[in-house]
Amino acid sequence: MSDLLCFATIALAGFAQATLQLSFGGLILLYHASMGRHRRKKTGRLTSAYILGVLIIALLAVSGIGFWISQLAGQALTLEMTLICVGIFLACAVIMWLLYYRRGKNTELWLPRSFTRFIAQKAKTTDDRIEAFSLGILSAFAEMPMSIAIFFVVANCILSTSAHLQIAAIVFYLTIVALPMMTLKFYIRTGNNVVDVQKWRIKNKMFTRFISCTSFIVLSAFMLAFWVY
Amino acid sequence: MAKKITYEYSSDGIRQSILRHAKSLRLPEGWGEQVADRVTKATDEWISDKDIVTEEDLRVFICKQLEQISPDIAFAYHNHDKII
Repeated sequence: MSDLLCFATIALAGFAQATLQLSFGGLILLYHASMGRHRRKKTGRLTSAYILGVLIIALLAVSGIGFWISQLAGQALTLEMTLICVGIFLACAVIMWLLYYRRGKNTELWLPRSFTRFIAQKAKTTDDRIEAFSLGILSAFAEMPMSIAIFFVVANCILSTSAHLQIAAIVFYLTIVALPMMTLKFYIRTGNNVVDVQKWRIKNKMFTRFISCTSFIVLSAFMLAFWVY
Repeated sequence: MAKKITYEYSSDGIRQSILRHAKSLRLPEGWGEQVADRVTKATDEWISDKDIVTEEDLRVFICKQLEQISPDIAFAYHNHDKII
């Protein structure tokens, strides 16, 4: 596979992952809770630790799966495994459209209520960077059912790129995953508040749903066109 | 059947909660305190002749009061647990 094709797949997979809302919602919660209790500088540090937690899990998952693929399954995913990933992406697209968000004028997701309460409570009481980092890890773990197939595809693409480009491919992927969270950080640093962001999310709930669903469908079609046929 | 938890009404708890929301919205401190004081006073009066109220009733009342004074705080107060 050419490096360009691998980078294009990583870009699409990273984009699909970036449209998932749990880590992003967790960051908004942390921002809102922290800004009400701490100074701006401390809030900045906590949110950076949270983002780092999310990225570390993505990095570890991709590295671990990459190691597994190279050691156990040969140099690249088999055709069957690739087809399973495509099937999971299509299932994710359906879930995104029909089940991901709860009904009503909010951005609540179909997660167990006890779990969301736990995350919200943790966000409210987070006081240091270790706690914020753990919260990031927790939210990334909770997102795993939707992102695990993405990790497989990204790990496979990274293994398929030339050796000298593999680090660049990982950095490229992590940058795309971090982009919505970094944009939120920049938006709030420039004097806006989380209510503006939340109002935007509620107003454009249908749009974000459409983008998430489409990104998974496009990723599946791309995989079928360039990795299967 | 869902377990019912009852707890004592805390005027100061409500004031602090509104102040936290105001601070997180970067509203001027003085304005946040004024809003918190007005809403807490109205809530104290509303609750004074009641033996027991549900958390939801209290929340709706506070949101209505906040909406008249500061819609942004009202939005944050109403939606802070509906983000994920």
